[in-house]
Amino acid sequence: MSAPGPDTDVRSDIPPVLVENVSVRFGAIKALSEVSFTVEPGTIHAIIGPNGAGKSTMFNVLSGVYRAAEGQVRFGEHRLDQMRPYKIAGVGVARAFQNIALSAGQTVAENLMLGRHHLTRAGFIAAGLRLPRATKEGKLHGARVAEIAEFLELGDKLHTPVGVLSYGDQKRVEVARALCTEPRLLLLDEPVAGMNAEETHRMAEAILEIRAGLGISVVLVEHDMGMVMSLADRVTVLDFGRRIADGTPAEVQRDPEVIRAYLGSGDEIDPSEAAEAAAAGASSSETPGMPS
Amino acid sequence: MSESTLTEAPGAHPSGVGRPAPAGRGRSWLRPLLLVLALVVMLALPLYVEEFWLRTGFAAAGAIVGAIGLNLLVGTSGQLSLAHAFFLAVGAVSYVYVSGEPGGLGVAELGGLGLPPIIGMIVGVLLAGLAGLLFSPLAARLRGIYLGVASLALVFIGIHVLNSWTEVTGGFNGRSAPEFSLFGFTFGNRDPELYVLAVPFREAERLWYLGLVLALAAYLFARNILRSRPGRALQTLRDSEVAASVMGVNVQGYKARIFLVSSMYAGLAGVMYALSIGSIAPESFGLELSILYLAMIVLGGLGSVNGAVLGAIFVSALPLIFQRYADLIPFVGGGGLAAGEAARFLFGAAIVLVILFEPAGLAGIANRIAGRSRRPGGRVTEHPPDTPSRSSEPSPSDPPAQGSTT
Repeated sequence: MSAPGPDTDVRSDIPPVLVENVSVRFGAIKALSEVSFTVEPGTIHAIIGPNGAGKSTMFNVLSGVYRAAEGQVRFGEHRLDQMRPYKIAGVGVARAFQNIALSAGQTVAENLMLGRHHLTRAGFIAAGLRLPRATKEGKLHGARVAEIAEFLELGDKLHTPVGVLSYGDQKRVEVARALCTEPRLLLLDEPVAGMNAEETHRMAEAILEIRAGLGISVVLVEHDMGMVMSLADRVTVLDFGRRIADGTPAEVQRDPEVIRAYLGSGDEIDPSEAAEAAAAGASSSETPGMPS
Repeated sequence: MSESTLTEAPGAHPSGVGRPAPAGRGRSWLRPLLLVLALVVMLALPLYVEEFWLRTGFAAAGAIVGAIGLNLLVGTSGQLSLAHAFFLAVGAVSYVYVSGEPGGLGVAELGGLGLPPIIGMIVGVLLAGLAGLLFSPLAARLRGIYLGVASLALVFIGIHVLNSWTEVTGGFNGRSAPEFSLFGFTFGNRDPELYVLAVPFREAERLWYLGLVLALAAYLFARNILRSRPGRALQTLRDSEVAASVMGVNVQGYKARIFLVSSMYAGLAGVMYALSIGSIAPESFGLELSILYLAMIVLGGLGSVNGAVLGAIFVSALPLIFQRYADLIPFVGGGGLAAGEAARFLFGAAIVLVILFEPAGLAGIANRIAGRSRRPGGRVTEHPPDTPSRSSEPSPSDPPAQGSTT
């Protein structure tokens, strides 16, 4: 098992994520079959694979949107595969969506405040009557939201409606909103899809800083192989709903199964060249933003 | 990414980090001043205008309460409901039965509890809320037009009950609504007789103030909700249920709660309707009333509290004004159109125009006139203090069409 980076201070309250033999079926189609892997506390764990490999399905299982037909997902004492999505958020699992799922009409601050939902209590009566505790709660959490926005370079856009922001900014609001839930496990679904090189670089640095500053686990679905290989402590490779490899970035890059999945067939190709070709091919040929 | 780093200790920061200063010092006094001025005008109005306008005002206040409630459900949360007329009926009938005296003759023997009107009003609101809560499990399973069609059933059930449960509702002919009173003060023509600056304050004047207070309370409550935790949850579940639930929002729970709140608004609107007309009758609570309420919030601007107010005033007052000034308006009255029909033609045209040219509705138009940048949710976008020049930044005054996201 790979250890987190040397400068990382893993929080003691972060359990590993144990994915055990998870299968998901849509009718006759098996989107995932008996996938297992472990996300060690405080690591950046990437899930990669060609289009249709089941990466997003895996994310939907982790966040409770899809039910696993078989197998289980453990997060400490919690069985994520048996919990409703909003309860999963309550135990510290946050997700940033690939296709941006923000409220376009609301401001950045309001979108981020939604991340504080499970940390705050104000109901209809307290909010409608502006009871002091509701107002105080809003102020307190507003300060933390502003801080997280500042961290993701959104500080000057807090009061701009999300709908008028650039694509890159909206992607960062997605990540910021997930961070606002104060997660113990952060699920990032293609955080740099469609971003340019500069934005990608900054996002990669932000992810490293999130891990270093908060000591939380990060699970990453990403097509940008360069980013995956430089960021991830561990990589799980899916193809046609099956796990075909699991290991450190260097290990999976050499894995003949992985090479075959990305290049079709690797019979006469030198493995190291093929791995490079696979990395290059995967990062350039995938259409950003396409559902996988 | 930046020099600022993120640490895990929340709350350990100087309060007010990154919070905006009040926008535009120069105009910050203008808004409160205008609001106070408007309030003073409203309060003084009964001294100067005739009864017709006050009665129209009270009818509009009732419509405002109902429209704000429906807008919370349809505009803010994206739950299409055609059952609003039903919930109004529940409120109105409860009020009339709880506060009305038993009586009537022959076949139409009426029951009534004869309790103080304020009790009747509260029971009306609560029962309407309960009806909404009972219906909400259906709302949790259906979406969009399917929910609309299912909610339609309630309207027909309501009409049937109104027609047949004679002891409570007065049956086909309806029954009169008791006068409102509060701690011995009657909102009627006498008891006590009241003169303010030599102007007699009779039923119309007194109801005007009642309407003002209730509409204002309904307005503030809804606005506060929209600007805080529940409001954000509702707007997010409208835009994406998956996103809302993954961010920790109990989607089913919130759908049920907003149905409860919305139908309580409708119940109050129903009570005010009964007071405004002075009686209730089955044909008042048909599908047409639901459609009129939908027209109010579409015209006003979906999701905007201000829009609901403007739309309610427009839709509820226009037929009354047409009726009164039929002889002055071409094509209306006499050999031309009936006032109600003329008003309906106008609504139809106005809705088409609004949907085509200003999806943010009357609220959007009002904002444009006021020169404010505003999001469709109805809140003024505050500009950070370091961007004083409004022209240099991308103007958010044209937010994405709100209607298309629901």
